[in-house]
Amino acid sequence: MKLEAFVLLSLVLFSAGLYAVIARRNLIAILIGVELMLNAVSLNFMAFNRFVALDPAVGQVVVLFIIGLAAAEVAIALSIILAVYRQRKQIDADQLDELKG
Amino acid sequence: MSTVTGLLMAIAICGALLAVSLKNVLHAIFGLAITLLALAGLFMVLGSPFVAAMEVLIYVGGISVAMVFAVMLSTVVPKHAAETSLRKGAAALVALTFLLGVGAIVVGADLPSTSAPTLPAELWSVAHLGTALLDHYNLVFEVLSVVLLVAIIGAIVISRREEEHTES
Repeated sequence: MKLEAFVLLSLVLFSAGLYAVIARRNLIAILIGVELMLNAVSLNFMAFNRFVALDPAVGQVVVLFIIGLAAAEVAIALSIILAVYRQRKQIDADQLDELKG
Repeated sequence: MSTVTGLLMAIAICGALLAVSLKNVLHAIFGLAITLLALAGLFMVLGSPFVAAMEVLIYVGGISVAMVFAVMLSTVVPKHAAETSLRKGAAALVALTFLLGVGAIVVGADLPSTSAPTLPAELWSVAHLGTALLDHYNLVFEVLSVVLLVAIIGAIVISRREEEHTES
């Protein structure tokens, strides 16, 4: 149980999320990637909080704020996805290109 | 304890790989839920049962279920012409470069390799966490509640069905 192991695990999770955001074109799959990245960051905070922080409340509070913001983000994202689906009957990120110059 | 930690880490990585690779979005969400549960276990190992409980309640119980609902309301045929193997290869290249680059930095960063310090019970108690949340971080806490309120109202407004304006 070393700090480095947790940081490396968080790095792997973040890379997986990055891959999903770039490779997938389904809006919900992209959202899954974003969630993975957020959780990787939370794990990093918790690990450093456990191993090196002076006041252990700091990291836990930050993680709680991340969870709250993720909940808000998912609510907005899912409603946007549903609105997009209602208009065009599909949720492919590459089809949403009206604003392309 | 160390075996449990290693097992949880392996489960988290497997779940993440499932979540990013499975074609069916519903299955990918289940992969994400596996990762989130493993992470909650790791939070427990890292000394915070409260944050672990919040992770399970909000992420697994709330966010994953909301995603499943969105999938059931939207995706009929998960067919994406743009998900070519070229695109996947490029994305894998970017992600692997990031992984190796930052991994080299982390390994070279000389992180403290001591085992975790002991847990002083009063500093790691939920009471201490709650005091910090409502005392020192009170402003952030209130701003976050306003953000959540605005997000919920926005979600309702965005996803509401437009009524037909037949009059006038």
